[in-house]
Amino acid sequence: MIEIEHLSKRYGDNIVVDDVSFTVGEGEIAVVVGTSGAGKSTLLRMINRLVTPNEGRVLIDGQDTATIPEDELRHRIGYVIQGYGLFPHRTVAENIATVPRLLGWDRRRIAARVEELLDLFQLDPGEFAQKFPHQLSGGQQQRVGVARALAAKPALLLMDEPFGSLDPVIRGKAQDDLLAIQRRLGTTIVLVTHDMNEAFHLGDRIAVMDGARLLQYATPADLLTHPAEPFVEQLVGTAERPFRLLSLVTVQDAMEPGHAEGEPIIVSATLRDALAQLIWHGRQDLPVADASGTLIGRISVDGILKRGRSLA
Amino acid sequence: MNTIPSRTAAPGTPTLRPTLHLDRLGSVIAGLIGLALFLSPFVTYRANRIVSGEGRLLVDALPPAGALGTIVVVLGVALCAVLARRPLIRLAAASMGLGVIFPAVGFSAGFVTPAGNTFARVSPAIGFWLLALAFALIAADALTRLRFGPWGRLVALGIAAGGLALLLLSGAWNDLSLMKEYANRAESFWREARQHLWLAFGSMAAACLVGLPLGLAGHRIPALRNAILQGLGVVQTIPSIALFGILIAPLGYLAANVPLAAALGIRGIGAAPAFIALFLYSLLPVVANTMAGLGQVPADVIEAARGMGLSRRQRLFQVELPLALPVILAGIRIVLVQNLGLATIAALIGGGGLGTFVFQGIGQSAIDLVLLGALPTVALSFAAAIILDAIIDLTQRGAHD
Repeated sequence: MIEIEHLSKRYGDNIVVDDVSFTVGEGEIAVVVGTSGAGKSTLLRMINRLVTPNEGRVLIDGQDTATIPEDELRHRIGYVIQGYGLFPHRTVAENIATVPRLLGWDRRRIAARVEELLDLFQLDPGEFAQKFPHQLSGGQQQRVGVARALAAKPALLLMDEPFGSLDPVIRGKAQDDLLAIQRRLGTTIVLVTHDMNEAFHLGDRIAVMDGARLLQYATPADLLTHPAEPFVEQLVGTAERPFRLLSLVTVQDAMEPGHAEGEPIIVSATLRDALAQLIWHGRQDLPVADASGTLIGRISVDGILKRGRSLA
Repeated sequence: MNTIPSRTAAPGTPTLRPTLHLDRLGSVIAGLIGLALFLSPFVTYRANRIVSGEGRLLVDALPPAGALGTIVVVLGVALCAVLARRPLIRLAAASMGLGVIFPAVGFSAGFVTPAGNTFARVSPAIGFWLLALAFALIAADALTRLRFGPWGRLVALGIAAGGLALLLLSGAWNDLSLMKEYANRAESFWREARQHLWLAFGSMAAACLVGLPLGLAGHRIPALRNAILQGLGVVQTIPSIALFGILIAPLGYLAANVPLAAALGIRGIGAAPAFIALFLYSLLPVVANTMAGLGQVPADVIEAARGMGLSRRQRLFQVELPLALPVILAGIRIVLVQNLGLATIAALIGGGGLGTFVFQGIGQSAIDLVLLGALPTVALSFAAAIILDAIIDLTQRGAHD
């Protein structure tokens, strides 16, 4: 768990981060969104003390980070930036081994860890371990960047626009991969982005920043239904709101008893996907199946639309 | 260049007439070879070492069979230069040409000198030098086209050096005036050669010792950067002779008033001012390239290194310096080649080095003595450039496939 308490950063008279507090639970993904210049990156960089705060403190599992020597703290926190910053003179394996080597792991343990991570990120160790970064595609570089950050099994991962330089097709896949890996490893993640879709896709909680201040820190659904300020409402996008809301809820929650004709929809699909199917097939309702394929109920357009309405 | 004839033929229309492929550079070089072979003297004969000499064409410089053989080989190389397409064949031809004319000119010296005459001197003349130049051009062109990697280039340099050593050690050139000058001064030649290398490499090492930290300081502290570069820029604009002159006064004073300095061999003239002048000239390339090399390390790489918890020291030695190394080495290459040449001037103020022979030779109007100093200097610079280029390539890890 990380607790951010009253963090502020000033450069001269310019306030970059103004009294920001929030808590990220163990194994959660907190996404910090905002326009550029809102202070997102500075906030992130105060967590691993690349930037020293003027006021406030950060606690990781109850321990004040200011009491840990800088380098030691950073060995324990994974860090991924937009350009990844892979070392061009080192191979993929050497890049991933950076922090374990600093920590003095023995060679066999490092080699095993590198192989494990390459497998995890679907990079064949035989093919990729000895390649240099410039020989990789953008998506592969991104995966190596994240693998390198996870090498020493940090409990916390900080990511600053980690998908910013990927094209949209690869970006979606990379986000899904990150989610899958995060669910598996249980790593706590604080991720900075200016992309609202990314925030809703990845975030367990979303922190909206503007003009150095934290406007709201809430779950995605709360953000949609109870925006704290007009700016949050505007940032969320009024036209997109119902669809965003639908994409946060699964068929499970809107399922009705009964039967329907047609191709079944899987119960774990989002309501947004279910609605898309209904519109596409021109039906009022469709059957719902569980993972094993057994029909367990029906989902209707009316049922979905009710869910897309503001609860307020 | 090689594909021009095949491109001019219309596609899809096979022609029975064989197309003759002429290499453009090769044709020019062949012309040069013809000029050298038939119209220029191959060696110069002089009655003694300082009178002006008379030229001898190749046909007069060798016994008939030797002359014929040499002409056939040289013409063969010219033909290869014009017609052969594969660089390896062109390289082999050029090497053979060099392998024939170098011993030939030595043999010619023995042939032209009347028996028992110990005063007469024979030197390679314009014809020989033109042939050597032509073959060297073909070889250099072929080597460029072959695109050898760093190890390949080092091996090629090693073979060339080995061939040269074999030529000199075998005694094939002993009758040439150049080697007679050497034989008269063998001891001082090696002493001055050592001095030359000491001046060039020693001042380079000193410049690295001072320049690398200075460059690092300039990189870290922007305020220092301009001051350092401008200061060194001013030094660079002082002509070498003037710098020697400027150094004489303070060093002379130091020698006269500080016993330790005098004990260390520091004098107003001699090796000390030469060493210091070379050192000062070396600083700018080392410092400027250190700054440039460190400056071009990508910002996100440094940010990532900091974020992963590499200490300042670890960042410097594991990330910044390795990535800046090729640029720093390029600076050292400039320094070394420049110093090997500039060290020649040291002889003017009694600093020794191979320049000693150059200035003695000029004083005695003995051109072969000048060459005894100049040719090793050129060879050293050439070899230093090739070796450092290869090292630079080898250090660019991750930049090539």
